[in-house]
Amino acid sequence: MHSNHSLILQGRQLNGERKPMPYHTVYDPRGTVNAVPKPLSGRVIGFSGIKLGILDNTKWNGNKLLRKIVAELEAAYQFEAVNYYRKESFSMTAADELISEIVNNNDIVITAIGD
Amino acid sequence: MQDAIRLEDQGIPTAVIITTEFVHEAEVQKQALGMDDLQPVVIRHPLSTLTDAEIDGRAREAVKKIEAVLKA
Amino acid sequence: MTRIETTETAETTASTDTGNQLPSRLDPDRDLIEYYFEKGFTDGLPVVPPTPQKIDDMVAALGGSPELVECRIPPRWGNLSRQVLAINMVMAGCLPAYAPVVRASLLALSDPHFNLNGVQATTHVACPLVIVNGPVRREIGMNAGHNLFGSGNRANATIGRAIRLVLLNVGGAWPGDLDKSTFGHPGKYTYCIAENEEASPWAPYHVEKGYDGGDSTIMAIAAEAPHSITNHVADDPQGILDSIVSCMSTFAHNNAVSGGHCAVIIGPEHAATISKHNWTRHDVKSYLWYQARNTFGDIAFQHRYGKVYNRNLPKWYSRELDSEIPVVPSIDHIHLFCAGGESGRFSLFLPGWGHMTSPILRALDGSPPKSGDQICVDGMCLL
Repeated sequence: MHSNHSLILQGRQLNGERKPMPYHTVYDPRGTVNAVPKPLSGRVIGFSGIKLGILDNTKWNGNKLLRKIVAELEAAYQFEAVNYYRKESFSMTAADELISEIVNNNDIVITAIGD
Repeated sequence: MQDAIRLEDQGIPTAVIITTEFVHEAEVQKQALGMDDLQPVVIRHPLSTLTDAEIDGRAREAVKKIEAVLKA
Repeated sequence: MTRIETTETAETTASTDTGNQLPSRLDPDRDLIEYYFEKGFTDGLPVVPPTPQKIDDMVAALGGSPELVECRIPPRWGNLSRQVLAINMVMAGCLPAYAPVVRASLLALSDPHFNLNGVQATTHVACPLVIVNGPVRREIGMNAGHNLFGSGNRANATIGRAIRLVLLNVGGAWPGDLDKSTFGHPGKYTYCIAENEEASPWAPYHVEKGYDGGDSTIMAIAAEAPHSITNHVADDPQGILDSIVSCMSTFAHNNAVSGGHCAVIIGPEHAATISKHNWTRHDVKSYLWYQARNTFGDIAFQHRYGKVYNRNLPKWYSRELDSEIPVVPSIDHIHLFCAGGESGRFSLFLPGWGHMTSPILRALDGSPPKSGDQICVDGMCLL
């Protein structure tokens, strides 16, 4: 019978004899995920007079979407600057230098597209 | 998502636009990278095959959500 | 975390993720194989239910310290501790002797230059292929000959499978969920081979790259399924290589439009003919790189869909319709091996994923190549 076979296989040696265990031991192959929690940055009060960064990850139509969004926002707000950036490839994270440049020159960022 | 998390971590509020197809992946990534509170801006899938007029519609959908996500 | 010994009730729980509770003890009447299927921990095939002894033996083979985290696997960024690696290896059916190969492979895949996050999530078919060099191949009984990519060899089959189980379970890249590959390919069950150094007329791959022949290494590359190349006619290098060039010169694979690396595996019969005419590894790679081309017009569909610049190709490629675009950016983007059975006039081309990933060559012990800048470009003077 299957369960007896398993019990025998998992038996421990006690006093030189195999004793059947009253249970199966099961294992989780997934491993833990332990992320260091990171808080969000503070939000802005309004959009007027601030610097807007646009990060395009180069996926299809992402650029068009972003430009149309900028057009809508510019109709409502006066930005100090609108800066455009492109990732090298949508399948890789942005280079550290690109991130630094964006951080140093913008107050908020809109990025697209994750699809 | 990873780029957005890096930007937020360096003090830049970021609106990351994703489509409905990507919501689960975004959820997993932001939890794995420790920024549960990051709220993406979700628009209807797809984007890549839309006409210009349809993209206009998505842009309008996105703008309100962008304001909500970036403003205090 | 995964196995708690208590003397309490028949079921005790251990948590791995928030909200994911797994009992570490189970009613003895439960069918273990079905249990692991139900939990969603398999690749679709039954896994070997781990026992305490098997796990202990595997952890010992990994060097002890079960809680030591070797690396993290995206996109879930799960911690690959030695205990968890042992669990996946036992489930795959590995012997403890395979541990250094599996570990080196996963360390290579988690190198940032490999971009495992991208490879796991892509809609493309590519998945990690591991190619083993050096004495370890014989020590653990790997197959480098007939049926190279096929079934029947425990080391090849279970090493590749253990890697895939880790990518699934620890990395969380489940098909249709975080793994968005439109088709996948059979290599996503297992994709691990050895170079046939004994049948090869040339120095092995890892020697070309600066290791000693006596070093054992693995090379990991994101690859499509192998494309077969038939040539039973040519009795000279050019004829055989022209067939390989023909296979490479298509705009259907990702290299053509996204650059990056690829692999070529020359069968021993073809290799014997090529080397009989004194062509070296370098000669072969150079010929392939120089000849394997598409026109820009082909790649751009003759501008039928608008003028596409294609930023994935290097900026120094001319975008005139009749200009010739190499399938990969350089000779060193072609990774050349000799493997497979000693009868049959066939070779293989394995396209890669594109410039978004780089193959990683790693010694089992993590040591760097000894010869640094290559002493022998083609390696023939060494072996």
